[in-house]
Amino acid sequence: MRLGSPELALLVLALPFVSFLALALIRPLRRSGRPAALVSILAMAGALGAAAALTWQAIPVARDVNPSVLWSWLPADGGPMASVGVWVDGMAMQMCVLVTLISLLVQIYSWSYLADEPPASLGRYYAYHSLFAFSMLGLVLSPGFLQMFVFWELVGLCSYLLIGYWYDRPSAARAAVKAFWITKLGDLGFVAGIVMLWAATGTFDFWPLFQAAQAGTLQVDGLATIMFLIYLGAVGKSAQFPLHIWLPDAMEGPTPVSALIHAATMVTAGVYMVARAYPLFALVPSVLMLIAWVGAFTALLAATMACVERDIKRVLAYSTVSQLGYMMAANGAGAPGAAFQHLTTHGVFKALLFLGAGIVIHHFHTNDVFRMGGLFRQRPWVGGAFLVATLALAGVWPLPGFFSKEAVLGAVLDAHLSVPFLMLIATSFLTAFYMFRVVFLTFFGHAHAEHHEHPAPPIAMDAVCRALAVLTLALGLRAALTGHHAEGPAWLPWISLAWAGAGIVLAWTVYQARAVDPARLSAALAPIDILARRRYFLDAIFAGAYRFLLLGFSQVIGWVDRYVVDGVLNALSAGALRAGDTLRRLQTGRAQDYVYGVALGVLLLLVWAQLG
Amino acid sequence: MTEIVGFCVAAVVLVGASLAVVLTPNLFHAVLWLAAALVATGGIFLLLDSPFLFAVQLLLYAGGVVTIVVFAIMLTERLVGASIRQTSRFVFSGAVLAAAVFAAIMGFVLQGGAVARPIAGGDQLRELGRALAGPFGVPLQLLGVLLVIALLGALYFARAED
Amino acid sequence: MPLAAYLVLAALVFVIGLFGVLTRRNAVGILLGIELMLNAVNINLVAFARFRADLAGLVFTLFTIAITVAEVAVGLAIVIVIFRVRRTIEADHLDLLRG
Repeated sequence: MRLGSPELALLVLALPFVSFLALALIRPLRRSGRPAALVSILAMAGALGAAAALTWQAIPVARDVNPSVLWSWLPADGGPMASVGVWVDGMAMQMCVLVTLISLLVQIYSWSYLADEPPASLGRYYAYHSLFAFSMLGLVLSPGFLQMFVFWELVGLCSYLLIGYWYDRPSAARAAVKAFWITKLGDLGFVAGIVMLWAATGTFDFWPLFQAAQAGTLQVDGLATIMFLIYLGAVGKSAQFPLHIWLPDAMEGPTPVSALIHAATMVTAGVYMVARAYPLFALVPSVLMLIAWVGAFTALLAATMACVERDIKRVLAYSTVSQLGYMMAANGAGAPGAAFQHLTTHGVFKALLFLGAGIVIHHFHTNDVFRMGGLFRQRPWVGGAFLVATLALAGVWPLPGFFSKEAVLGAVLDAHLSVPFLMLIATSFLTAFYMFRVVFLTFFGHAHAEHHEHPAPPIAMDAVCRALAVLTLALGLRAALTGHHAEGPAWLPWISLAWAGAGIVLAWTVYQARAVDPARLSAALAPIDILARRRYFLDAIFAGAYRFLLLGFSQVIGWVDRYVVDGVLNALSAGALRAGDTLRRLQTGRAQDYVYGVALGVLLLLVWAQLG
Repeated sequence: MTEIVGFCVAAVVLVGASLAVVLTPNLFHAVLWLAAALVATGGIFLLLDSPFLFAVQLLLYAGGVVTIVVFAIMLTERLVGASIRQTSRFVFSGAVLAAAVFAAIMGFVLQGGAVARPIAGGDQLRELGRALAGPFGVPLQLLGVLLVIALLGALYFARAED
Repeated sequence: MPLAAYLVLAALVFVIGLFGVLTRRNAVGILLGIELMLNAVNINLVAFARFRADLAGLVFTLFTIAITVAEVAVGLAIVIVIFRVRRTIEADHLDLLRG
């Protein structure tokens, strides 16, 4: 285990926050656009430097050293009820580097991608970006569930704000709200889980919990329920079945935002949380089993949907859901290390895929892959970078995806989860197929005649893609050279490579060589095809459930409000009106009638005095 | 003995005149009956050994007030162009309520025991003058102010329309 | 004569005045009723002053008489103004305050 310096970790955390405060509070700066972007980019570069220094300066320590530094937060009798602080172990530091790196690259890319935005909007965009990076870093460095939950919600808020960045588009506003509410559904479980855990153990902090869990002294009734509830939070955030439906819609945001959400910040939070809290999850094998099954199923389901999607960004979104399924399956198989490895490598090449897709969309002015083609000849660099990322995603040696996917598959096989393993193997075939479908349709094939010559993509976008491509290659080569191998039988790499190759060949046959008509292929698989095109009716089911349950409930409440609550009030007010109407007749306006009142009052006083 | 006779006479005149004031339909007559009632009240004051108050009653009340009322009646009568006949409303309920109040007051009056009448002595007028100039000096001044304000107010109200 | 006799007399005059105030339709008639009630109070004051040998009762009576004169003057002025504006001094018709 390696331990980093908490001061540097706080610096990593502080830089994006300061940038956010500056952009949020200094109105002229925010509305100036480009200078605001520069502030945010510089702060993020500083944060990346600090994160790199943090990793560089980390010192190896024994396993039983507490990697967290805490400050008390909520004071209570007998010690603080909750504390804040930083937790700087190897995983957190690596995650910090990933988050700051992707954030920085995405921000640089956005500089060109959103060049046409009005300056005020651009400042807002960068303010959100800084807050997003700060929230994710805070989540990564959290030493306890409570702090993690706070940043967890901040991350959700930021993704809401960024998905709905073009809030004047109804579809974007709807997608933002959908993402927010679907993830909130999971967060309900998360918050209930951590509160129950606190009630049972009296602490939110990871360190004492992990110590007790590893020593076997953690006696908590209903731990399985608690961990299941906590896992629900990850289901929402990391888009696991059945709460994955928000992620494809989140494509309504600007493409760099998608890259950020998919690669480094939002969706990885769930995987990271489960990996972080793995010592607790390890105590409940039933929940782990569930995590693995749901993960593998999500991977397969999303891959089938990606195969029939026409929108390039949605294909990538489904592929993210699918890869998140891999990570969760690894978590469930008891290999959080493999999950985290896949998280980092996937973060790099998925960012590259999205940013490359941004250039593609920029070029063709459409998201529909069937209206693209022949881009490779015009933009070989972009095509090459995209191809590298695609190969990485498909899991082809010697790219990083190969090694991390290998680790995941090996772990799942190791845990004797044969059905999930088969699902994941099938998924790797489908992954290769749908990704190369996109590649063949977009970069090869015939250039559609309607496209006149386009200017080359701006230098910033191009440079970011090249940097990520080089990084992907470097990661893969490093893994290949260091002989980094996961446990697992010797045939495993060959099997997965063979499946990936088969997927590529099938995509080539159908979409490049046109040897098989895609229509016939889909006709042969008609039931799955139809289901996948309809997204397995999950959106419809959610909408239906929403309509029947929520709207029905609302109608009942509305009826009660309208007829019971309002009825009582109406009766009261009508009674008051009628009483007033009756009583006003006493006010005749004639002085003598009032004298009657006075005389009666005097009489009463006299009688009263007499009796008293 | 003379006191009893005097009281009886004054009481009969007072009650009778009062009843006439509230019952007679002719407003002008009512005012004259009021004058009679006020004079009878002055007689009661005499019986209570207060000749000065008797004089004040005659001058201010029976003289001043009645004169003002008569003038007012003549003014409104001139304006309305006919002699003002007045009628009564809710005579029965008014009588019942008045009787009830009377009964209630009687309850108190009859509860009180007999009080011996002190011997009248000294110069009442002199003592009254001292009291007005001494302990009651400030109220007397305020009363003067009140009268001035009332007169000004009455003048303002009754001024000719412009 | 005992004190009670004066008090009964005063009470009688008072309720007669009250009766007038309650029943008269004419504003001047109501004012006459009020005069009677004030007069009854004066009788009470003088009687108590005499029987308790307390000069304050007499002083109060003087004040009451003075205030009554002022009241009558203002009251009648108001009656005249009302008459000018409304062409009536029937109290029943003066019900602008009706609810």
